[in-house]
Amino acid sequence: MSGTTLILVEHERGQLKRPSLHAINAAQRLGADFALLLLGQGLDEMTKSLLNYGASAVVIADDAALAEPLADRSAAVIAQAFKQLNATSLLGTSSTYSKDILPRAAALLDAPMLTDVLAIEEQEGVTTYRRPINAGSMLATVQLHGERRVLGIRASAFEAPATVAESSPIEKIAIDPASLPNGTRFVSREERVSDRPDLTEARVVIGGGRPLKDKETFDRLVGGLADTLGGAIGATRAAVDTGLAPNDYQIGQTGKVIAPDLYIALGISGAIQHLAGIKDSRVIVAINKDPDAPIFQMATYGLVGDLHQIVPQLITALQGA
Amino acid sequence: MDFAWSDQQRELLDAVGRFAREQLNYDVIENDRNAVFNHEAWKKCGEFGIQGLLVPTEYGGLGQDPLTTVAALERLGYACKDNGLLFSINAHMWTAVIPLVFNGTEAQKRKYLPGLCDGSLIGGNAMSEPNSGSDAFALGTTATRQGGKYILNGSKIFCTNGPIADVLVVFANVDKSRGHDGITALLVDKDAPGFDASHKIEKMGVRTSPMAEVFFENCEVPAENLLGKEGGGTFLFTRSMTWERGCILASAVGSMQRLLEKCIRYANERKQGGQSIGKYQLVASKLVDMKLRVESSRHMLYHYGWLAGHRKAVYLEAAMTKLHLAEAWVKCAEDAIQIHGGYGYMTEYEVERELRDAIGAKLYSGTSEIQRNIIASLIGL
Amino acid sequence: MKILVPFKSVLDPYEAAAPGGSGATAKSVINPFDEIAIEEALRIRERGEATEIVGLTIGPAAVDEQVRAAMAMGVDRAIRVDDARSLDPYTVARILRVLVEEEGPQVVLMGKQAVDDDSNQTGQMLAGLLGWPQATFISKVEFLENKTRARCTRETDAGLEVIEVNLPAVMTADLRLNEPRYVSLPGLMKARKKPIDVRTCEQLGVKVQPLTTVISTARPPKRCAGMRVESVEQLVLKLKEEAKVL
Repeated sequence: MSGTTLILVEHERGQLKRPSLHAINAAQRLGADFALLLLGQGLDEMTKSLLNYGASAVVIADDAALAEPLADRSAAVIAQAFKQLNATSLLGTSSTYSKDILPRAAALLDAPMLTDVLAIEEQEGVTTYRRPINAGSMLATVQLHGERRVLGIRASAFEAPATVAESSPIEKIAIDPASLPNGTRFVSREERVSDRPDLTEARVVIGGGRPLKDKETFDRLVGGLADTLGGAIGATRAAVDTGLAPNDYQIGQTGKVIAPDLYIALGISGAIQHLAGIKDSRVIVAINKDPDAPIFQMATYGLVGDLHQIVPQLITALQGA
Repeated sequence: MDFAWSDQQRELLDAVGRFAREQLNYDVIENDRNAVFNHEAWKKCGEFGIQGLLVPTEYGGLGQDPLTTVAALERLGYACKDNGLLFSINAHMWTAVIPLVFNGTEAQKRKYLPGLCDGSLIGGNAMSEPNSGSDAFALGTTATRQGGKYILNGSKIFCTNGPIADVLVVFANVDKSRGHDGITALLVDKDAPGFDASHKIEKMGVRTSPMAEVFFENCEVPAENLLGKEGGGTFLFTRSMTWERGCILASAVGSMQRLLEKCIRYANERKQGGQSIGKYQLVASKLVDMKLRVESSRHMLYHYGWLAGHRKAVYLEAAMTKLHLAEAWVKCAEDAIQIHGGYGYMTEYEVERELRDAIGAKLYSGTSEIQRNIIASLIGL
Repeated sequence: MKILVPFKSVLDPYEAAAPGGSGATAKSVINPFDEIAIEEALRIRERGEATEIVGLTIGPAAVDEQVRAAMAMGVDRAIRVDDARSLDPYTVARILRVLVEEEGPQVVLMGKQAVDDDSNQTGQMLAGLLGWPQATFISKVEFLENKTRARCTRETDAGLEVIEVNLPAVMTADLRLNEPRYVSLPGLMKARKKPIDVRTCEQLGVKVQPLTTVISTARPPKRCAGMRVESVEQLVLKLKEEAKVL
């Protein structure tokens, strides 16, 4: 495939989001060379850590007007960068940042887009993409037409990139703030800092469901088990709906899709929408009172019983192990 | 013979199924244990349109035909696990709403039907007495005309919705010397002086449907609450009872379908001796019989519904439908417990409750024995 | 204020999940996220901030059932673009753009994704084509300054974020925006009298060329059930020795 692939790199609070670099692996599958694009303000430090991935260029759009990730401005700048580089493909991930901005950029570039791409393959000279549909109960193999394409890849389905010795050149995008869209204003964001690892990156995740009754119990049992194992906390939609956990803990079809080494599901029955988010975990442990819960059909290890008694025992046993 | 639903019927039935599934299945185990009536769910059903399905639109109903109505109730029974709620709705529809629709004066219809349709009013009837059950017309409650009022004296038992009803259709005798020809129907409002519906009766099944023994002690009922004619009670009762027999177990067909699916799932997932228990013929055979019972019940129900919309005399079909569906429901529930083994005996699995709920079906609206007598008398014996 | 609610007819995700269903053929419903969008539009109208709610969908005559369901909820009128093809999000956005420009609403409110396709693109693409601000994955919306602006709370990976957008704008609804009302039977009866305006892509001047071709679909490799453990001790042992994940 000819033409450069432009990769939108994500960052938060001055730190690069490592999973977004897995798009490099996807770009390599497309066979083209790739450039890394960073949008924001005060990007010097992060730029430095992007120089050794073998990109044909590290492209920076650094301006106060881009301090917050507003979709209308970001998409306009991405389209500008895309044309400047003569790119033919635009890549991002399945984060809410990418999902918000990439499709709008695709429209500005008159390009089709695929979300949540799991694999990129060549079949008889045709590039095909595999992605989940119907809450992951089916996989579709898709072909794209036209000269340009936009892909949101699922980071956990691609490898982390290797570093190389050579440094990439840096290219700057000239930003004219006056010509950027002006219809959106950032107001505020929840700032919740946690010692626990990021849910989408953690090796161990403990998920909690509605049977955990209240926030105090949720934090004590799910949080307690997570901390014993150095893991992250997730929740089902039902748990978030009833206020046991904030929305960013939600795992599932419309929440986060995770693939940790170990996922322990506490009081989770296993609705298809939730299973969609945990299917690729290496080991799944389910603890549930109901022996008929669908999650037992998928769990590596299932323990039937009352989680309110089992979890404290488990925490003690693990602390000794 | 066209067995297909029209697009409009399908949309209606799908809407019923979805509504019931999403809105009517809260706290069923606990409410059954504590015999709690779910008034919220009742009101939602009213707003949704269930109670008024058969009532003409000018009185706040949906003016649907009987076949669509029983199909809707079947779908309700499939998607709603609270058989008690449905029992209360049925009692309301057949013993209070129907008599008003067919025998009410214009003033009575305008006064009661809109509220009975939209969920704001609850109705029922009071017929059976401690000494007159199957022998219904041997009732002893009296109604004496005194100027602009009737004075009622007596008591009724097994009054479904008694504790929560806003209005009851009460059967009393205005002139015992005329025997059955004195039986008369009257509308008794809950605040009628001398009316006591506070004696609750606890039951084996359909426990979320409240029931009471009600007492009339010089109970005063305004003369305009006469329903139909003096002495017209047996006719009114027989007519509404025919509706009741044909329709009251429509939701049971839905419950049976739900039970069947639950049993099939369990038979496939439960493994004993190295295979799913559904592979054992003794288990499979029970499920086959269950399937046949559901299908035959459904066919009888739909046929009854069609007939009720196309001709007036469905007395035989109503009795056959009631008998067949009641027996089928009890047998299905029994087999469901057997298939689930020990789990079927546990409250949590919601199988044992179905049997407790089903057994009443052989007793109310005329016992199975009464239905057999009726059918026998109508097939030329 | 006029609100446009584009919605999609999808196979009922609940029925698809339930094994051994009633044996009936697959049923369609309004995409759950779009239903949430419709509900929000109705609530905005109920508090007096909108006067007209127009539904939009693309599909063959069979989807009129979902159109009637939307109208039974309270949508005033609806437009269906008659097309039985499976269209990719960009094509859908291009079709919607023509209708949006024709109708001139202050707000386009739709679900964030369709539960069959899970693309989560159409709203953003539509906003890009229109050059309108967008507020995606919203869990709350309020109107300010005499309805010239909207303040939206969004659900993101990091938690909740609040932005303000000038109107007209495109918004996509997330799960917790509201809980939709159920279709009532009286609503269904009334809906039978409301008009459905049927159009075609040709009439709208939109040329449909497939940008995406689905070559095949397959079930993912099934993850089999493992084993039941009887105790916490046994679980810890298995995790350590067998799975080697501790």
